[in-house]
Amino acid sequence: MLVHLQGPWNPLLGRLTLQQIPYENPILLGTFIFAAILGVIVLGATTRYGKWGYVWREWLTTVDHKKIGVMYCLVGLVMLFRGFIDALMIRTQQAIAIGPNSPGALGAVHGYLTPFHVGQIYTAHGLIMVVFAATPLLVGIMNIIVPLQIGARDMAYPYLNALGLWLTTAGGALVMLSLFVGNFAHGGWYGFVPYFELPYSPGVGVDYWMWAFQLSVLGTTMGSINLIATIVKMRAPGMTWMRMPIFTWASLSTNLIALTSFPVLMVALGLLGMDRYLGTHFYTAGMGGNLMLYNDLFWIWGHPEVYFLILPAFGMMSEIIPTFSEKTLFGYATMVIASFAIGGVSWGVWLHHFFTMAAAPNVNSFYSITTMLVGIPTGVKVFNWIFTMYRGRVRYELPMLWALLALFLLLVGGMTGMMNAFASNDYMWHNGLFVVAHFHMMVLLIAASVFGAVEYWFPKVFGFKLEQKWGKWFFWFMVLGTGWVFVPMFFLGMAGMTRRLDYIPYTQWAPYLHITLVGMAFYVVAVLFFVAHLYVSLRDREKNRVGADAWGTSRNLEWMTHSPVPAYNFAFIPHVNARDEWAWRKENGIAELHAGDYEDIHMPKNTGIPLFLGLLSMGLAFALVWRIWWLALLCLVLMVALIIIRSFDRDTDTTIPAREVERVERAARDGSSGSVPPAGVLGDAVIATSTVRSGSGGIGGNTTSPRPSWAPRNR
Amino acid sequence: MTQHTQNPLEHPEVQLANGRAYLGSFILSALLMTAGLWLTITHAMSPFAAILATSLLAGVAVIIQGYLLLHMDLSHAQIWHTVAMVLFLPLFVVTIGLTAWMFHGLYERTMIMPPAMSSMSH
Ligand code: HEM
Ligand SMILES: [Cu+2]
Repeated sequence: MLVHLQGPWNPLLGRLTLQQIPYENPILLGTFIFAAILGVIVLGATTRYGKWGYVWREWLTTVDHKKIGVMYCLVGLVMLFRGFIDALMIRTQQAIAIGPNSPGALGAVHGYLTPFHVGQIYTAHGLIMVVFAATPLLVGIMNIIVPLQIGARDMAYPYLNALGLWLTTAGGALVMLSLFVGNFAHGGWYGFVPYFELPYSPGVGVDYWMWAFQLSVLGTTMGSINLIATIVKMRAPGMTWMRMPIFTWASLSTNLIALTSFPVLMVALGLLGMDRYLGTHFYTAGMGGNLMLYNDLFWIWGHPEVYFLILPAFGMMSEIIPTFSEKTLFGYATMVIASFAIGGVSWGVWLHHFFTMAAAPNVNSFYSITTMLVGIPTGVKVFNWIFTMYRGRVRYELPMLWALLALFLLLVGGMTGMMNAFASNDYMWHNGLFVVAHFHMMVLLIAASVFGAVEYWFPKVFGFKLEQKWGKWFFWFMVLGTGWVFVPMFFLGMAGMTRRLDYIPYTQWAPYLHITLVGMAFYVVAVLFFVAHLYVSLRDREKNRVGADAWGTSRNLEWMTHSPVPAYNFAFIPHVNARDEWAWRKENGIAELHAGDYEDIHMPKNTGIPLFLGLLSMGLAFALVWRIWWLALLCLVLMVALIIIRSFDRDTDTTIPAREVERVERAARDGSSGSVPPAGVLGDAVIATSTVRSGSGGIGGNTTSPRPSWAPRNR
Repeated sequence: MTQHTQNPLEHPEVQLANGRAYLGSFILSALLMTAGLWLTITHAMSPFAAILATSLLAGVAVIIQGYLLLHMDLSHAQIWHTVAMVLFLPLFVVTIGLTAWMFHGLYERTMIMPPAMSSMSH
């Protein structure tokens, strides 16, 4: 052992002891029981209905970009829920623990959460919402939509795509695991040094935080390589750069940011890891270490990261607004330039996150000015959206409502961001609630665009529209919640309240904190409406079936193929003639889909290797957290072995015969499930059925699993 | 999916393999690194000049390795690698440059250190 560990360690279990299981904490015990029951129900139902073969074949081993995208979104939703519960706990704690006379319970002097517990909650909330909720949701939607928009049959690297998904999922699972085994970091989601160094944070919390973060970094970096290569190399013939749909442009810009910034975070966290595991002194005070280096490295990633999150959201708004204004997007070229300008400027502003670190005045001024520059391309975008709606036939359907909410939140968040951009202002309210309210406007904008995008593209992916009644209740309660939580938060920020408090000394702030709690109640109701929204939509799915062009006024290539999309996306790779190709075809009366001489389609084959690599990486991270060296070594060796086995596997591709394509196309054109051909034609049912298949492949000698069905799923 | 050959030897990147270039790049890089190491351990220059000189040597090594080892050129197979490299340069300058600029001012105000420990504060 190169570093001094506090507490026991033994070779078999590392630092893991029974005391590390927090069974005496009623909140965590309740959470555990809830999670266990949920797990039993899910696993039991899968077994009861004989769905394991289906889950394995169609989902766990898939390399299909659409299914991977759907799984990314599911991971994002689960983590969004967890992050929301965290938020609920923070807000209730802060509404109770006000003033010296406030009551205490469950071992806390004030409120019901100890400072240690509150610390873990806000750290987990921040990390989860940024990298395990928003990022997977956005990456998932890009994964589904970008190949469809550019007329490709899959991503450039389908295997890498699956690997990215499972690494990200492993990171999220690790955060969840820290609830029940050990604890999580409690110093804030972006970490502090030297506080996060081993002598000052001797527990495993920081290690959980660090390795989970690191896994998500790996996953996202791989995803970005994939999306960039796909956009650059796999566009359909005729799709020149200036005919690319705007969401694809936004994805390109955003993934360039990811590819260039995430490695910096990997280094920042890696150096911290060396300090904690090998006893180096990169971030210590003295011994040649540099405390400020961590802030610098972290935010070199951190600021580009916030634009990594917002650019796809802008892309979604840019798709939704023209569709529901029944007009082409205003200022396409300026939109593209603005996306890249935002991406470019985002590289020169990171110091605004630590204006107060005492850099020289001219340095702070420089970053003040670059930060304000971001407002110019953002403003261009806002005006473009407004001019798109101007004199359009605006329809206030759900996706459009969400896009308009996003537009409104962008104005509030952008204006308050500008206020932060003055270093002189920031000196007064840095680390305060004003900043917190600012960036929540921004991240809620992202959430709003994601909800809009889900409403908008859901019929493309699943073949039926979500219902509108409960969806609108959900929307309006989200609006109410946002107003009631964040307007008082701006005021509290102005009053000087700092962030991350477990106890509030000033009773004058109580009314505001109570109002935010009312807002949380609205959010809780909104979540219930969301569940109703999903339930009713699923129940009535037959009623809400749609054809290829679900909204009737959509404009891009993805609306040209069937809903839901077949495994191969397009029976014929379309030839692109114009920007807004689908709108162009409809205008010129060539929107009809005809049968043709179908050809064999070459596709990647399913494989279980990425899933196993994900599981092993989680094992590796867990072993490193608890310093169980033999387990870490074992996982590492197995990972290397799997990678080697896979690289010798020549059987990675498969061909969908023309006959099969024709059948799927005919069924989709007829649009009736009555024409489903019997199972067994290809040795498998075409439509996902509940029959279990024997011999589900996996990693024995041959690393590929049996063929999934080609037809659109979920009919 | 694009149709591609299963024989790795037929990939254009693999066809670029060239033993002499690898060896040449290895020897040149070793020489450059030795020169940098020698400059550093003999304190032959002032600290600031040594940083400049070693950075220069590193830059030359990057170009040599990019060309001889990674075969970055403008050919069809390699152009995107070269483009990626060129696009990376401004980022490198911005991040490292602005960081150095910030630390320069920061050290003067916060981390008053004995001169031997801080080479950036000069
Ligand atoms: C008009 C553009 C924007 C400007 C001028 C701006 C400005 C700022 C400034 C100066 C800060 C630092 C405040 C402080 O810590 O004292 C800040 C914090 C933050 N901003 Fe923005 N911002 C902008 C857009 C965004 C966007 C688009 C996002 C996210 C998608 C975002 C997310 C954040 C986050 C997460 C933080 C705080 C991180 C933390 O301390 O935990 N901002 N912003
Ligand atoms: Cu920032």
